[in-house]
Amino acid sequence: MRTQTYKINLGPQHPSTHGVLHVVLEIDGETIVGSETNIGYLHRGIEKLAENKKYPQVIPYTDRLDYLAGMSNNLLYVQTVEKMLGTEVPERASYIRVIIAELMRIANHMVGIGIYIMDLGAVTGVFYPFIQREHILDLFSKLCGSRMTFNYMRIGGVAVDIDEDFIRGTEIFLDQLPKMLHEYHTLVDENEIFLSRTKNIGKISKSQAESFGLTGPNLRASGLGYDLRKVAPYEVYDRFDFNIPVAYNGDCFDRYIVRMQEVEESIKIIRQAMAQLPQGEIKAKLPRIIKPEAGDCYHQAENPKGILGCYLVSDGTPKPYRVHFRRPSFNNISIFDEVAIGHKIADFIAIMASFDFVLGEVDA
Amino acid sequence: MFSFWGKGLLKGLSVTGKVIFRKNLTEEYPLVKPNIPSQWRGGFAYEKDKCIACGICVLECPNDAILLVKEKDENNKNVPKEYKINLGYCLSCGLCVESCPVNCIHFTKEFESATYLKKESVLDLFNNQNLEAERSTYGKPVEKKEEKEEGIL
Repeated sequence: MRTQTYKINLGPQHPSTHGVLHVVLEIDGETIVGSETNIGYLHRGIEKLAENKKYPQVIPYTDRLDYLAGMSNNLLYVQTVEKMLGTEVPERASYIRVIIAELMRIANHMVGIGIYIMDLGAVTGVFYPFIQREHILDLFSKLCGSRMTFNYMRIGGVAVDIDEDFIRGTEIFLDQLPKMLHEYHTLVDENEIFLSRTKNIGKISKSQAESFGLTGPNLRASGLGYDLRKVAPYEVYDRFDFNIPVAYNGDCFDRYIVRMQEVEESIKIIRQAMAQLPQGEIKAKLPRIIKPEAGDCYHQAENPKGILGCYLVSDGTPKPYRVHFRRPSFNNISIFDEVAIGHKIADFIAIMASFDFVLGEVDA
Repeated sequence: MFSFWGKGLLKGLSVTGKVIFRKNLTEEYPLVKPNIPSQWRGGFAYEKDKCIACGICVLECPNDAILLVKEKDENNKNVPKEYKINLGYCLSCGLCVESCPVNCIHFTKEFESATYLKKESVLDLFNNQNLEAERSTYGKPVEKKEEKEEGIL
């Protein structure tokens, strides 16, 4: 019998695409034989917009890159400007930043895991992590007044000092989180349907992951324990004792398990940071108008989704000449076209969900 | 231990079975209003008598959402004549509130800012100062407890 392949559109309005990702799949029956990923449906031109803003005015825009981890984006941008100015951040501010960034990592992974399970068809699974994320967002909204678009980090420090309420709230949250993680492992880890949909699906080898520039949990699931918090510690990460979870199979299940383990490591870091939290200033003294000397600067940090980098060019005026963000999701999804081949359509949804990408960051 | 297909499923079901009997976490929103934190960044309130029309908030705003028209009064001092915030452009970043030297602009704890018409999203704060709304503490200096020295006189 003569058969032929045909093309179908997955997205850009497909509910499983985490936004507006457009994938053209070439199908032979149920099997994918070709794939082409199109992006750009959520492009807002943040990099271009930033050229018309003064340095502190760019901070609220970075919230909108990876909108599930606004604090981490804020942090990276202000760190880059500080690197350019050569500013020393007060120690207390550094500790606060670490606490906040790790809380943000937990919140992001909670969404990543929850949505992953939901895309595989288990809608119940989304609510358990979302309850935990809600606790974190509540803490953040008490701290800075906003739930998603924080604008909390400032050049030279942070906007608001954390108070007793925040510390107590975080402690209560951290105390009940391991219980929830255990519950979630029981709910999901041995589920036969989950295992048959994730084990050995979307396998990425170590060399493949390296050559496509994957970062974050997606890279670490392929057997390479590369984490900037260990490799090139920024802020005060070098003062804490924590591990980098690595899995070696590189399949969808490993990407899930690495995220779950990272949450546990984040708990460790926050507990240590809270125990060591010093007193003092939360903001360095800087001139009212921030004018770095002409030149350029690149800085990168380990965001929940991978390595976020920022390249800044200054021409000596209060506005940046050029801002560029190296967005981890953009690099991570570049491997889709290669990894999709040979899988079934339903498996492609599982692969996509396991990558935990955000289109706000892909298109910037 | 013997194992069979579906054991993990049953194990998972045991978790959901327990969770059914937990307390409800959802709020019946329009009937029960949520508890808004004190630092909330929502609506705006504006004290026009305090305002010195310096224009720092306009300069700080990343998105040009604030319109300030100033005039001179009889003492040759700048006073505001018009003050509008376009919520359609506002990012609620709070840079205006933080930068105000006389603390005349405040966030309020309002959060239901959807409007029926586009023009209603522009807040005419000069004519409607919105002073009765509950204010947020965002960007305001921490009020130090007054320590009066007693017993000197």
